[in-house]
Amino acid sequence: MKHAVITETTFNTQSTGRPRRGPIHNVLVSFSAAYFTGALVTDLAYWHVPDVLWERFSIWLIVAGLVMAGLAAIAYVFDFADNRPIERPAWPRVVGYAIAVLLSLANAFVHSRDGYTAVVPLGLTLSALVVIVLLLTAWVGMALANRHRVGG
Amino acid sequence: MMHGFRNARPSKLARGVVVLSVAATSLALVGCDDHGGDPGKQIGANPVLPSLQQYLVPPIRIAKAIGWGDETPTVPQGLQVQALATGLEHPRSLCVLPNGDVLVVESNGPKAPIFRPKDIITGWVQWFAGAKAKDANRITLIRSGNGVPELRTVFLDHLNSPFGVALVGHDLYVANTDAIVRYPYQDGQTSITAPGTKLTDLPGGPIDHHWTKALLASPDGSKLYVGVGSNSNIGENGIGAEYERAAIWEVDRASGAHRIFAGGMRNPTGLQWEPETGKLWAIANERDEIGPDLVPDYLTSVRDGGFYGWPYSYYGQHLDPRIMPQRPDLVASAIAPDYALSSHVAPLGLAMSSGTDLPANYRGGAFVGEHGSWDRTPLNGYKVVFVPFSGGMPSGPAQDVVTGFLDANSHARGRPVGLAMDRSGALLIADDVGDTVWRVSSAHPGSPLKPGS
Repeated sequence: MKHAVITETTFNTQSTGRPRRGPIHNVLVSFSAAYFTGALVTDLAYWHVPDVLWERFSIWLIVAGLVMAGLAAIAYVFDFADNRPIERPAWPRVVGYAIAVLLSLANAFVHSRDGYTAVVPLGLTLSALVVIVLLLTAWVGMALANRHRVGG
Repeated sequence: MMHGFRNARPSKLARGVVVLSVAATSLALVGCDDHGGDPGKQIGANPVLPSLQQYLVPPIRIAKAIGWGDETPTVPQGLQVQALATGLEHPRSLCVLPNGDVLVVESNGPKAPIFRPKDIITGWVQWFAGAKAKDANRITLIRSGNGVPELRTVFLDHLNSPFGVALVGHDLYVANTDAIVRYPYQDGQTSITAPGTKLTDLPGGPIDHHWTKALLASPDGSKLYVGVGSNSNIGENGIGAEYERAAIWEVDRASGAHRIFAGGMRNPTGLQWEPETGKLWAIANERDEIGPDLVPDYLTSVRDGGFYGWPYSYYGQHLDPRIMPQRPDLVASAIAPDYALSSHVAPLGLAMSSGTDLPANYRGGAFVGEHGSWDRTPLNGYKVVFVPFSGGMPSGPAQDVVTGFLDANSHARGRPVGLAMDRSGALLIADDVGDTVWRVSSAHPGSPLKPGS
């Protein structure tokens, strides 16, 4: 859901006369956000029925999200160097995303524990916190983008 | 980016969250650098058990494998040590035949599956510690005269991660990781080419986390006892994967039928009869990742029908929160083991002292081969200790007997695994990193052998 929001604010191509591609890093950010959100879903499933399969889904989803985040960081540098249009209100979004990634990194370690406490309670809490931070980030980003558009 | 900075007005709340979460993350990452206490407090019948802790990054502290070079293990005054065989391939366990021939089981575990990213890391760690040696899957026979090797042959080949060997009459049983196989054996035979006959399947793949299957025949030869380790550290592969594992099996030699003799032992090996009482004893590796001083590995008598806690509890009723659902009914019946060996020493060899070739202070007790820790700072184990017995029970603190497996830089020259007493009563040690079998005997004057250290 949140990834839809990010995409929307991301691909606002500015009419400069020639078609320009949107920044690549945003696509990768969306992927990682989707993976992190998926981990929350599988964590909730594990909390409901502690079958190890859910826990394994969670850790792979978190790691996939972190890999995408790493690629996004690299892509960001390229996008910046390539002079692609990077959204104006970047700062809160970068910070919010960085928090989510750091929390997910910690979460990957928690999810690498053996047994039930890999998820309940700390892993599940971190997964939920990551999704909340991502949602807030998207919301703040959107609000700032709108204000920016309106206010010039 | 700069443009963004100017336009953005991050709330105080957002800034606060950044600072807090960065601080929390780094704190948690640093906060796990803890050292284990004095292992001496965890040796004996009443080990000190600290409260359990869970890690963000579990400690990994391995001894890099470097080999012996010109060094040999260290033994106390009155003993001598020499290499009975060198250049072996990952020798794990030993069996002494009635004519004095020594069988050396050269074996390593099957390839571990990758279920989680963590399993990839674990693979690297094991490789670094020299635990990823090629699996020779064979048994080598060593014939020696008073410790001087005279003959070395391939006794049995093409096995499947073998560990335990037991001889009953002319039936030689080999416990592969997935089955007990019987071979015909004639006295003095140096090689078996006859095909084996399967007695029973044992829990093997596809995970096979603890793969070693220790084997011991009952004194009357009617039963075989098998140590079957758990399929995980603490049930992280699902409780279904633990079916009939973490247990000692009793297998009927005639029919191959089995029953669970005792359960709740995470990785029981070193099955031995205590000579004075005739009771079954075993050593077991306890669980990891809840602290440098949890849970102490142990040496214990094994009660028929006994439950020793794993995975639900340890040392009686100390609950492990990592297993869900819990089983209060089983926990209530959990037996605390007889004798703690301290945490993470990884006992994998047990020999009841029976011989005549060792000084008097090493008669009446148990030698324990401690393979050594990989997740504890400082390192623990990496030696062979002697636990004195009296009246069929341990009667004092464990004494170091064979040391020097670690050098001054905490690199591993070798790691002791399986133990056996040879026909003359000397102690044999399989060393799966030094690829050697060591023989420890009395350094009595007039011995034709030069002391090794």
